Formats: sequence, C-alpha cells, structure tokens
Amino acid sequence: MAGDAGSIPELDQKKYDADEQVKIICLGDSAVGKSKLMERFLMDEYRPQQLSTYALTLYKHTATVGNKTVAVDFWDTAGQERFQSMHPSYYHKAHACIMVFDVQRKITYKNLANWYKELREYRPEVPCCVVANKIDADLKVTQRSFNFGKKQGLPFYFVSAADGTNVVKMFREMIKRAVDYKQNPGDFMDEVMQELENFDLEKKEDNSEADEDGLKAESPDLV
Amino acid sequence: MSFEAKRCGVQFSPPSIVLIYEHKETKTIRKRIIPVRNFSKYSDYSMAAERLKNHPRHRDYLEGVSQSQLEKLHIILRDHMQGFSLERSLASFNLDPDEDLNKLDDEELARKKGQMDELFEKNRRHKDDPDFVYDLEMDFSKTTQEKCSWDEESDDGF
Repeated sequence: MAGDAGSIPELDQKKYDADEQVKIICLGDSAVGKSKLMERFLMDEYRPQQLSTYALTLYKHTATVGNKTVAVDFWDTAGQERFQSMHPSYYHKAHACIMVFDVQRKITYKNLANWYKELREYRPEVPCCVVANKIDADLKVTQRSFNFGKKQGLPFYFVSAADGTNVVKMFREMIKRAVDYKQNPGDFMDEVMQELENFDLEKKEDNSEADEDGLKAESPDLV
Repeated sequence: MSFEAKRCGVQFSPPSIVLIYEHKETKTIRKRIIPVRNFSKYSDYSMAAERLKNHPRHRDYLEGVSQSQLEKLHIILRDHMQGFSLERSLASFNLDPDEDLNKLDDEELARKKGQMDELFEKNRRHKDDPDFVYDLEMDFSKTTQEKCSWDEESDDGF
C-alpha cells in the first residue's frame, strides 16, 4: 500500500529533488480553512489545480528566498482528510508541513495529534508549524496558549484568513524553513534524534533519503 | 463596483434568489429577483451556484455574494423541492462545535461551510478596501498567558 508513494501519474514528484523546487503540504480537519489561507496568501496568483481523483488541490507559487527564486508547490487536501489519513504520496518528498486547526472547534485542535503522528511516520524531520485559524471570530482566543506542538518545538501562529492577520508572515517563514531544510537537512538531525525516540522508528540511516525508503518498507498502519 | 450586496434569500415560487443591494451611485436600496432556471430536486447545487455567479446578467450584482452562500441558497431551494420543511432545511446548516466534520459527506459539509462562510465574509478584508494590508502582522506573544482548557485531559502530544 505504501509502496506506490509518489506514483500519481499526473504528478512527477521527481521534480521536488531539484534545488529550486519545494513542496509544502497542509494538514488539518475538514473546514478549518486550509484553502482559505492559501487563497489569502496567493491573492491574484491563486490558481488552484484540482486533482479530484486524488482529492487533492495544488497551488503553485514563486517565492524569492535570499537572492534565489524558488518554485513552491502547496499541496492541499480536497476532502481526503475525511479518510482520517492521507495517501502516502501526499507526504512523499514534502519539505515542510503547515498544520491548521479552527479556534472555534476543539475537535480540530485535538485531531492535530493524529495528523502530526501520521506526518512523522512519513517525514520524521521536516519543519512543521501549528496554525490557529479564524481568530477574527473571537480575538480573546489569542490570550490563551495552546500547548500542542510546544514539546516538539513547533512554531505557533494565530492567524485569520478572513482579515489576513499573520497569514503572509506564516507562509513566508514556512517557505524559508522548507528551503533551509532542503539545503541542509543535516541541521535537523537533533530534532530527528528526538523524534526517533518519540516515534520509535527503526532503521534510520544518516542518508537523508533513507527515512523515506525505510518507511516504505514498513506498514504505516502499525504504529 | 457600483452594486453592494446587502442581503440575500430565496423565494420558493417560482424558485428564485432574492438579492437586496445598494446601488452605489444613486445610493438607493433595490431588490433583484433572479429566477433559478433548469434547477430540479436532482440538480447539482454547486454547479448551479457557479453558473449563477458567472451569469453575464447577474454576476455584477452577485460579486459580493460568495459561492458557498449561493450554494446554500440552492440547497434550500432543492430541499424545498424534495419536500423538506424550511425549518428542517435551515437546521441542517447549524454548527455544532463538537461535531466531527471529517465524517460528513460532500453535501452535509457544504451546508456547514456555507454557514461558516457567513462569518468569514462578514470579517473579510478585501484587497480593494482602502485600508487593506497584504502582509498584516500582529504579535500575540506578549498577550498569551492564560492556559487553554483544551489542553487539559492531556494525552501525548498535548
């Protein structure tokens, strides 16, 4: 089942190996506002490519990081979250992950733990952040601290796709982290070691590709 | 844009979308009744809403009305055609914050999203607004103190 990771025929995921290409995935429950966040960040550039067969939406973006031009593919679910789990190809070669919950719905916050667990099964070391969306509904939530992800050192953002608060900042920082990670995955080895303890992954090699290959051999359903 | 949508609703007979809008130049409030044609109890509400949103005669008036709000209105019309009461139809849009929306099918989810979209549209800043800031930043790190009750009963990861 996991062996066909990356085998979506319309999508050649090999391109994500090129220096100037990064893949950033969005995770989170239905209706937390993932697509609305993309739309707010991309504005006029917003031209989603629907791959409805795979319950997947792709957004292409060109960013400048330092003095380099980087092509960013954002992967968004189009209902695939309903299966409580994403197809392995969704995680394949991802360089960063944006996890979103709705501050008005506790269940979407609680479910972050499941999304994060699945992410780490496939991508033990990619940069990830936690995004609290819809703060425009009730600004008081920003006085509360949400501790999920603190232990793992994940950056946390209070955002609103409606009024735009912190949306652009969050995306820019995540693009930067995706590019940094791609250039130097070794910098994340400390984090990897920590996560290895947490998730008890076996057969981890120094080779940055090995995590993917190692994982493919295991069934992700076991953990 | 010379029309600002104020409110919208439906009329069952004949099936129509009713739009209350302000004509910006004359500052007058007007009502526009848009008949919904070729729409039956078997029709796709999403396609019908999209068709209406892009309709050459109506699209200027409907610019301020979101796709999901139009979908919601079409669902109400279709519910009526299927014989559901208005009360039941409207109740299906209600949001229960504890409900797991991952478990809903497309149409049930569209009902909830339509409801959420009303708040979204209300709070939305458009890029044409005079005070629009693309990269709007607010620092909440200093105000964050209170512990979140959602973190209680904590399991691993929380």
